[in-house]
Amino acid sequence: MSAPGGEVLGIAVLSLKIALTATVLACLLGIPLGFFLGWTRFAGRRVLLALLNTALALPTVVIGLLIYLLLARRGPLGVLGMLYTWQAIVVAEVVLALPIATALSAAAIQAVDPRVRRTALTLGAGTLRTAWTVAREARFALLAGVVVAFGRVLSEVGAALMVGGNVRHETRTLTTAITLATSQGDFGLAVALGLILLALALTVSVLIQLLQGHGDV
Amino acid sequence: MATFEVTALRQAFGGREVLALDALAVREGARLAVVGPNGAGKSTLLRLLAFVDTPLSGSIALEGRRVASAADRRQARQRVTLVEQRPYLFRGTVLGNVAYGLRARGVSAAEAGERAAAALARLRLRELAGRDTRALSDGEIQRVAVARALALEPVAVLLDEPVSGADRAAQHALFEALAAEQGRRPLTIVFASHLLEDAYRWADDLLALHQGRASPVTPENLFRVDLAGGAPMQTVSIGPLALEVVTDRKGPATLAIPPDEIVLSTEAFHSSARNVLRGRVVRVAEHGAAMRVTLDAGIELVALITRKSFEEMGLAVGGTAFASFKSVAVRVF
Repeated sequence: MSAPGGEVLGIAVLSLKIALTATVLACLLGIPLGFFLGWTRFAGRRVLLALLNTALALPTVVIGLLIYLLLARRGPLGVLGMLYTWQAIVVAEVVLALPIATALSAAAIQAVDPRVRRTALTLGAGTLRTAWTVAREARFALLAGVVVAFGRVLSEVGAALMVGGNVRHETRTLTTAITLATSQGDFGLAVALGLILLALALTVSVLIQLLQGHGDV
Repeated sequence: MATFEVTALRQAFGGREVLALDALAVREGARLAVVGPNGAGKSTLLRLLAFVDTPLSGSIALEGRRVASAADRRQARQRVTLVEQRPYLFRGTVLGNVAYGLRARGVSAAEAGERAAAALARLRLRELAGRDTRALSDGEIQRVAVARALALEPVAVLLDEPVSGADRAAQHALFEALAAEQGRRPLTIVFASHLLEDAYRWADDLLALHQGRASPVTPENLFRVDLAGGAPMQTVSIGPLALEVVTDRKGPATLAIPPDEIVLSTEAFHSSARNVLRGRVVRVAEHGAAMRVTLDAGIELVALITRKSFEEMGLAVGGTAFASFKSVAVRVF
């Protein structure tokens, strides 16, 4: 496999698009869910948290298999015709990132000093403002969860291969391209793609750190 | 009208009763000190009066209206605020913190900023307005938290150990600011302290708590003892001393010797007092027209005497004095 510059750029853009979309979706669902788990006390909460922590260790090939079976032509969602599309990879990555976003958000909220909530209440804040205040105090830990989720989906290969199929120009991501290049003995390309992947991860981390720095207003 | 009226208030944590207050009325404009040792229930009472905790049973009325439901408590929190012993300042600027409660009340950002700045100025903290809260000392945090509470112009402010860790000058400044605030508008102040000197100096009313209950005496001269029982007049060991008390109780008990029941003299004299202890004066504090003299007699005893007697006896820190009190003056509970 030897890819021209334009194709490599396309692969990088697609990887970023998939990773960002999956991260945003997983965080949109996971952060409120994690907030709820970290904020409230109800029967069965501990069991839920234990299940969530187990889901963190779920092998990506298992997720890939599950999504494959769901999206396969004869599967329950086969009519959507999503298998071997970049959207299918997004679905798998959301399933992968959701427990991370949820568990890390729950941990972030639980770690907030209990005085924050009490202080907000004593100053007359309602439930929503109190919740928002708690989230603001936990924002660095919440952002750290976003970074971890993003890193996980950007570097994922197993599920992307299974549900994306590594179709050239359509579902080939940086990680699946590296796998292919390595299997074809094109180590130069594999290393180059790996460096792009690293650069992307670094750029996003730096951007988030900059956001954190400016967020303290 | 009373700012707070408490009736049969009970609070328990983990099945253990931590507060049992039958009745308490705090009049408008009062300066009530809640005193007692650690674990006496002071913070528990303050959190209940601040309506951030729900009592196990009993009721609290704020300005004549009973606060019962969660909605009542939410409304009441708009009128009462609490400064905790270790206050928490949110991330951001000091001004943002002081404006927080006003913003929560729907005040516009501009007006909240102005009122917050004014509250900071009243506590002589104007120069801290733009400072990041993470860059403040403990003392500054405490004063900013008080400014944050006063900015809300509440009907009552509750302060949990407001001067713990502060130096004398800072304590004075804080209480002066609170007194000035009371001069500006009607404000009820309830503060918890384990230091009786603060209570006597700054409060005009006092509630002593002991193991979650209102104590009939101030928490001075309180001693945990084990009574042998068997006779109405018992000899009890407290540290190196043996005191005579009149009680038919047996087993663990608390002895209280009211400071105003102790007679001080420069020489031992014969009287009906069964307990006469020789000690060294270790502290002297003014208390209105009276003096609070702390005597180390093997145990620390506080005696309340008139300033005139104090001066006539020529008592001074380091000097020797005798403390006498009758067995029947010793309360057992």
